Amino acid sequence: MSSSSGDRGTELRQIFFESAQEILQSMNEEALKLEKHPDNLEALRSLRRAVHTLKGDAAACGYKDLTSLAHQFEDVLTGEDLTRSAAIVETALTAADVFSEMIEAYRNETRVPTGESLRKLIARLGSVAGPGKASGKKVSTSAAGKKKVVAKTARGTKSADDAPAPAVELEAVPGWTEYERLAVESARQKSVPVQHITLGLDPNCTMPEAALQIVRNILGKLGEVLAFSPAEARHLRVAGDIEAAVATRVIPGTLAQKCRVPGIISQIHVATLAAVKSAAPAMPELSGAAETPAAETEAEKARTAPRTEETSRPVAAENLLRVDSERIDTVLNLLGELIIGRSMFQQTLLEFGKRFPKDPLRARFSDAFAFQSRVLSDLQRSVMKIRMVPVENLFRRFPRLVRDTARTCDRNVELVLAGQETDLDKGILDALAEPVSHLVRNAISHGFENSEERKRAGKPEQGTLRLAAYHQGNQVVIELSDDGRGIDSTAIRNKAVAQGLVSSEEAQRMTEAELFKLIFLPGFSTAQQITEVSGRGVGLDVVQNVLLRLKGSVNVESTPGQGTTFRLRLPLTLAIIKAILFRVEHRLYAVPLNAVAEMTRIHQSDVHLVDGHEVLQLRKEVLTLVRLGRPAETKAASKLFVLVVSHAGQKLGLVVDELAGQEELVIKALDTNLLSSDLISGVSILGDGRVVLILNLAAVAERRSRVRNELGEAPWGLLLPLAETRQFQERHGQDLPPQGVQNGKAVAAGGEL
Amino acid sequence: MKPRIRVLVVDDSAVMRKLIPQMIRKDEEIEVVGTAINGNFALRKIDELRPHVITLDLEMPGLNGIETLKQIMRTHKTPVIVVSSFSTEGASITMKALALGAVDFVAKPTDLQPISEVEQELIAKIKAAAASKGVRALPETPVKVRKPSSFSSAPTTKVIAIGISTGGPNTLQYLLSQLPADFPGSIVVVQHMPENFIRMLAQRLDDSCALRVREAQSGDLLLAGRVLISPGNQHIRLRQMRLADVVSLSNDEKMNGHRPSVDVLFHSLARDFGARGVALLMTGMGDDGAEGMGAVKDAGGSTIAQSEESCVVFGMPRVAIQRGYAQRVVSLEALAHTLQVLCAPARGASTGTNSG
Repeated sequence: MSSSSGDRGTELRQIFFESAQEILQSMNEEALKLEKHPDNLEALRSLRRAVHTLKGDAAACGYKDLTSLAHQFEDVLTGEDLTRSAAIVETALTAADVFSEMIEAYRNETRVPTGESLRKLIARLGSVAGPGKASGKKVSTSAAGKKKVVAKTARGTKSADDAPAPAVELEAVPGWTEYERLAVESARQKSVPVQHITLGLDPNCTMPEAALQIVRNILGKLGEVLAFSPAEARHLRVAGDIEAAVATRVIPGTLAQKCRVPGIISQIHVATLAAVKSAAPAMPELSGAAETPAAETEAEKARTAPRTEETSRPVAAENLLRVDSERIDTVLNLLGELIIGRSMFQQTLLEFGKRFPKDPLRARFSDAFAFQSRVLSDLQRSVMKIRMVPVENLFRRFPRLVRDTARTCDRNVELVLAGQETDLDKGILDALAEPVSHLVRNAISHGFENSEERKRAGKPEQGTLRLAAYHQGNQVVIELSDDGRGIDSTAIRNKAVAQGLVSSEEAQRMTEAELFKLIFLPGFSTAQQITEVSGRGVGLDVVQNVLLRLKGSVNVESTPGQGTTFRLRLPLTLAIIKAILFRVEHRLYAVPLNAVAEMTRIHQSDVHLVDGHEVLQLRKEVLTLVRLGRPAETKAASKLFVLVVSHAGQKLGLVVDELAGQEELVIKALDTNLLSSDLISGVSILGDGRVVLILNLAAVAERRSRVRNELGEAPWGLLLPLAETRQFQERHGQDLPPQGVQNGKAVAAGGEL
Repeated sequence: MKPRIRVLVVDDSAVMRKLIPQMIRKDEEIEVVGTAINGNFALRKIDELRPHVITLDLEMPGLNGIETLKQIMRTHKTPVIVVSSFSTEGASITMKALALGAVDFVAKPTDLQPISEVEQELIAKIKAAAASKGVRALPETPVKVRKPSSFSSAPTTKVIAIGISTGGPNTLQYLLSQLPADFPGSIVVVQHMPENFIRMLAQRLDDSCALRVREAQSGDLLLAGRVLISPGNQHIRLRQMRLADVVSLSNDEKMNGHRPSVDVLFHSLARDFGARGVALLMTGMGDDGAEGMGAVKDAGGSTIAQSEESCVVFGMPRVAIQRGYAQRVVSLEALAHTLQVLCAPARGASTGTNSG
């Protein structure tokens, strides 16, 4: 196991674990390509190359079991026989899974699975190998095997005691060396009869080595042993055959008697060797040996020739540079500091302008600042781009997932991908793998009807699952839509009431969108009936949690009978955001700019109380208001600022004391013990050293409903943490790392605030 | 201090791009100047970095190893060491690479051998490649030669034992293609190379010359016009038996770090064939065979070393020459002729046997 790889280096293994994922992925992809187009030779070659690389890498890391399995697989993939594509696909997919498990075990230093099932699959695949496949060795053994059969039937017809013994062709004796054949031939020419003796070793004989020696001694006393095989006991086949050619005048019957050694020899056949066909005595029969390699060379040529034509293929990876993500994070970190520096500069410049409004230096400072800002913005964009990876990296795993799930659930589903080129922060993308897989599995197992039902509903038999990604403002949207049965909102309503999540009046009042939100609640997810009735609801709270952690959101739309769409919204990146700053009770807060729909100023008199909620009629919309800070009555202001923010398709009005401008914020990671409120998703530091708390809109929106449900008597006001921030600032100053740039670890930490 | 050997590592596997530099950097005479993920990238980096030696993976997406090698041979002529895998497929493509002019190859490290072994081999071969004069590339598809359908029944005049290493495949191919179908001697070759590769080599050679070439099996007869190549990982010895001359294979311990070892072959030649023996040391690094050549010379056999200017790596022949064991020093071009003269029946057939 992994102990054998002690000298191979941790770093090397780390690289292996990373690159192995890519290799397995491309195994999956090529296999699926081959499944779709069984005559896709290029896919077969790429598949083989993937296995080949995996084998080499595993060997270099000292992972024996994986190496040997991959080696076996590569060997049976050799050749370009497309007639067994189906079997190859099956084996390749299993192999990708088994390899993945093995690699995981190596990584965790747990017991490595043996991959026995895969070994069998590979063996089966090998046995249906096409004509172009067999190696030289195999050809010769199978040829020998065939001859062997002939010899056996010849022997089988006559008993050894019969005289004269049956004649056997010389070439029918496999496994003899040229010299032995020559010896047999020359003895025959001296007209000494040569007897071909075949002995079956007793299956109970425990010492084959000694048995061989005994037999050899016996034969040596009877005549001249011209040939004897096998030379060593370990070459004895399971059948336990010993073959010998002895030049002797002793008659076959006597030979057989002398060879009968109880406990060692159980079967005896003796046959007199016939003439060799060839006229030239000194010339052994070599044609068989000479032709086999030649034939194989032809096959070899046919196999290798087309490969050289691959060269004109476009090379996507050509300019790729693999860089440790930590290095980029360092750059990003420094960039964050620069941006803070810019704010400091700006602040100073402002003061300078106030103090010396007429000073000509002021304009020059401004120009310099503007120039620096522009370059800094470009730099920031470029650095952020480095962290961006196409969504394809995530999407590529789904064809396999869809195929497998659809098979298990007996559904006929086609996956359509769109927008794979959309870029997203790598940390976010990695974190999305689980939730999106979950949604995909859910969609297939519960969302789609079976073919019968679809036909009855007048839909195409094959369901379509569409996975798309696109940019929207500063966000990336990932959409998963199916054309399945849709979600039954009545069932949700009944269930929610039954579970006591909402009162029945409330349930009646709830819109469909609000009802759908309920399926993301933890209590809801385990409800078995819902799974059957509505087709959704398994573990969706998990999906929601991940999205919240990533400062994203998830919502669902569904039309009964027509399908369901899950929409995941994510920030482009977690590290730097454009934000609107505002004050509540003299403390600075921020919300992401892209969440802000509008800003408005209202009178206290515009606020109405409906159902224990403060609401605002804004044009034709009724907006729920959320107060940050202390309850409203402590506030004297009759004029209010309202920030209209939208989150997960829902709009809220944040009541704030004062707006404080727009800034680019470098989000810093937070110690969980400093801020215990989940309402704050991060912290940033301004150029003048002030701390800004970044509001977690998802939590705010959620808290609003919880407040309504749990604390009906205290409808307004979310108490934001106040005291902690000063403490935080004192302890940490500006030495916090930007959030979201620590390999996703900080991302997670941010979510647990 | 002499300038370090600049090496470019070309491999599509991230693991290998880490491992190979890690291994060869341990030698202070070697410097890894860069890595490349595929052929296109490599070609550009060669222009830019001017490496002395390139290690090249053959199985790569994009511009694959063989095409890359062709271009390197055409334009840069930088010595290339192929880093190859141990599969059957790998062996065949490696043979092709050697024919195209790769100086040598190293099998990728496997779990079966300590990594230090591969490391030493790679370092030695890089150094040899850096000092080599390059390999002549052979036509990619050898000209198919018509062979007689069977061996002539004429007795073997002499038994020629050849020891060869780096640069061997192409050198052997050249030499054997110069020998006629009725060549009266029998040839046995030890080429330092792993098992799978020998089988491919034998096939390749058999396709490209009038002689019959094959990987030897125990008990194979030494016949006129036949070339037997020792399997990888087994020692080969020559024996005079009662009825004929044969080769025998064994799994004895390595000799000089090699199995098959040229010394083992040469010593058996000296012992059983005496004056009928011809020992020939050709291109390759190290000193395997020099000692045995001395024994052949003492036993009355003929000894030949390939001349320096025609060697890809002038190692084994140099040692033999330095110790005074090589009676003749012959260029590759003249070797076929020399062998024909030595084996001509008029002079060689009646030479008695020496069973000592």
